[in-house]
Amino acid sequence: MGDAALEAALMRTVVRVLQSLRGWILPALLLGLWEYTSHRDAAHAYAFVPLEQVLAALSERLSDGDLLHNLEGSLLRASLGLLSGVVFGIGVGALMATSTIALTLINPIYQSIRQVPLLGLTPLLGLWMGNGETAKVFIIALASFYPMVLNTYEGLRNVDTRYREVGYVYGFRRFQLFRRVLLPASLPSLFTGLQQAVPMAWIAAVGGELLFNVGAGLGNLMMQAETGARMDVIIVCTASITVLGIAMSYLASLLSAHALRWRQ
Amino acid sequence: MSGNTSAAAANSGPSLLSDLEIRRIDWSRLRVLGVLISPLLLLVAWTLVVRAHWFTEQILVPPSAVLEAFAEVWDSGELPDGLKISLYRLVIGFALGSVGGVALGTLLATSRQAQIYIGPTFNALRQVPTLALTPMFILLFGIGETLKVVIILKSTLFPVAIATLEAVRNIPRQYLEVGRAFRLRPWMQFRRIIFPASIPPILTGVRIALGRSWMVLVAVELLAADTGIGQMMEIGRQMLRIDIVMVGVIITGLIGFSLDRGLRLLEWAMLPWKRR
Amino acid sequence: MKHRVHWMAIACGLIAGILFLRPVSSTAAASPDPEVIRIAAVAMQSAGKPGYMAAAQYVSEDQKLLAELQKRHVRLEWVPVSPTSVAALVNENFTSHRIDFAFYGDLPSIILNASGFQTRLVAPGNLGNNVYLVVPPASTAKSIADLKGKRIALHRGRPWEVSFGKLVASNGLKVTDFKIVNLNPQAGASALVAGSVDAFFTLDDAYLLSDKNVGRIIWSSQRAPLDWKMRAELWGTREFVEQHPELTQLLVNADLRAVAWISQEQHRSRYIKDLADRYGYPESVVQRDSENANVSWKDYWSPLYTPSVTQHYEAVAAYARSAGLIRTDVDVKTLIVPKFVDAGLKELSLGNYWVARATP
Repeated sequence: MGDAALEAALMRTVVRVLQSLRGWILPALLLGLWEYTSHRDAAHAYAFVPLEQVLAALSERLSDGDLLHNLEGSLLRASLGLLSGVVFGIGVGALMATSTIALTLINPIYQSIRQVPLLGLTPLLGLWMGNGETAKVFIIALASFYPMVLNTYEGLRNVDTRYREVGYVYGFRRFQLFRRVLLPASLPSLFTGLQQAVPMAWIAAVGGELLFNVGAGLGNLMMQAETGARMDVIIVCTASITVLGIAMSYLASLLSAHALRWRQ
Repeated sequence: MSGNTSAAAANSGPSLLSDLEIRRIDWSRLRVLGVLISPLLLLVAWTLVVRAHWFTEQILVPPSAVLEAFAEVWDSGELPDGLKISLYRLVIGFALGSVGGVALGTLLATSRQAQIYIGPTFNALRQVPTLALTPMFILLFGIGETLKVVIILKSTLFPVAIATLEAVRNIPRQYLEVGRAFRLRPWMQFRRIIFPASIPPILTGVRIALGRSWMVLVAVELLAADTGIGQMMEIGRQMLRIDIVMVGVIITGLIGFSLDRGLRLLEWAMLPWKRR
Repeated sequence: MKHRVHWMAIACGLIAGILFLRPVSSTAAASPDPEVIRIAAVAMQSAGKPGYMAAAQYVSEDQKLLAELQKRHVRLEWVPVSPTSVAALVNENFTSHRIDFAFYGDLPSIILNASGFQTRLVAPGNLGNNVYLVVPPASTAKSIADLKGKRIALHRGRPWEVSFGKLVASNGLKVTDFKIVNLNPQAGASALVAGSVDAFFTLDDAYLLSDKNVGRIIWSSQRAPLDWKMRAELWGTREFVEQHPELTQLLVNADLRAVAWISQEQHRSRYIKDLADRYGYPESVVQRDSENANVSWKDYWSPLYTPSVTQHYEAVAAYARSAGLIRTDVDVKTLIVPKFVDAGLKELSLGNYWVARATP
């Protein structure tokens, strides 16, 4: 009796494990295809580098500190840009939400500049701000700025009128109304904006490094790899960029969940 | 940020109807003009700064130079050709990506099997920033049209698929039950129930994807292309012709703007019951 | 309502003020020594430190120069420039007054001067970098003539475009006879491997491709007349050179010291090794690239202003004009300023070290 139950339990676990592996079938197939292509001939091996080579490149870059160094560079820049972009975004969004004059003046400019592909601005920024860190951080800030402004504006605008009325009843002046009622009520929107801004900032960071000048960064590492046509290093970089992007988005969502926990 | 007259409504004015109407008219007229105020101010400031020679000519080109450059690249055919090619790439990649995205999203939303087998790969791939894939794609696909179409496809497919996924998931149960009660075949279910119910969020997703794809296309053309508007800007940069670069910036902005407005118009036209 | 207007006005004023006042860095301060001399040079970043090309690296390490500058309370600031697009980056830096000097190439300097911003050639670099024409291994093309009408990856506005022009002209062809694809060297290499272009014209990164058997070099400037190579020199803004001749002289002296050191045969292999390390290239690539049949190592590094230098630039200017890269003519003679090198050679007692070559 006990044996049969044990066997059944074992079977269940095995089945469960197998079931959870089903999602891995497709990736495994794709990787297998890749590996097969890479062993066909020299030209293919050039572009479709064998996976062992990729792993070798990864350990090589990790050991000589290159990867970490550039990773730090990108992260630092992205954080700096994100911070400035978010702060400015909240500021301008709040301004536009509370002052009609500001709205009339800033909105048209905001809408038109927003449409220009960010990285298309690089030649201009390169000229006006140099090609170094300032320009890169600026692009990142700009990329985070857009979603923050939008969400701050919408958030403040859409504050339930009942809350405003409560504020009036309490006799709040403008600034108090803002601080006590509008801002907390619009926090969810602000955090939505943050969560949108993070991936944009990261993409802008990488893109900026691809188009601007030397410096420490994953984008720069990728460019160097491209010169020597080192696909293995390129893949390592792409993977790192993806992983970091995911991590940053996850952190942002954790932060939002934590800050908004009083809403749950 | 559509203009609305709630501001005027909030300032409840005198009770005479005619007065309120007059107030409303004034506001909307001002609003129309208001859109033009800041761009005009900016233009004026730009011209003044150039006149005052605060920056060297090469850094801040006067608006007149930009206009001349525009005429130059238009006449030489560089601009029209570049535009045609860039837009052509965008349209093809975008069409493929949207259709594929809707299909994939619907599949993932409705089929449990698809979720299990394709889901993880989908989630992993969607996180990879398109721009970061560019050097890899260049090595794999070269720098021809394939590259650009593939990149736009990637950049469109995932957002649209996700929007579709969410939209289909959020279809109220009742609608689907009606479909089942009527014993509709899967295709009819899709056509009559799923699709119409999910259009609004899908269209929004499509609109956002378009904006992103345009941005990515210009970036790729800056990095590695033989033709296109991004390439026109890059050559301008290499020849230190900042006026050409500005023409490119303005045109790409205008196109992005028109694409966005165009899709908003489409949304508005297709969803009469949702008009704000 | 009233106080709101005031507050907006102040805010606007502040923003406008910040925007307008920021980038106006000091143009032409009066003659007292500037606080800092900013030099741009092509560099590769490895392990966090930039490694500069050719003589620039040794100038950056020159202790005498640093000591002299310190006496005058002047700092030396190096601006590394990515090889991806040296031309555009340096020219933008010059026009926005972010640098005073640059070690960079011939065609971009002409483009810059044609646009109205003036620089001066204060110290010639070596005789030039070699350029190569690469095709896919399976290609049947044996010379540039075989590639007529085909797609060639060539980064425009870079110095080696002029070399390409000369190659093409010597075969009785025109640049417009080819489909030139404007790609930076990285993208050009990828395009060649992926088969998007039929040929690729570039510097010694060509060896990286041929060593991996993904490309075949069918022509190199090593077999061509010496002045077909692309040149890079030390350029300074006209303002700086005219207003601070003593500082310019110090810089030129440092350059001459570096070049004199490199040009000695016994230092050759050390130089090659250093360059290879800094750039992350295999040593054999740098070695092969440095082999020039018709000129000795010492003469290769000669910083003398021979007529061939002027002629080279006149050819560059003519090419730029004919290719539509510039719209106004450039008077090459005004760009050449030999006095610093002349004075420097005397000061360093190198007057007879180099003998002016006969024009090739």
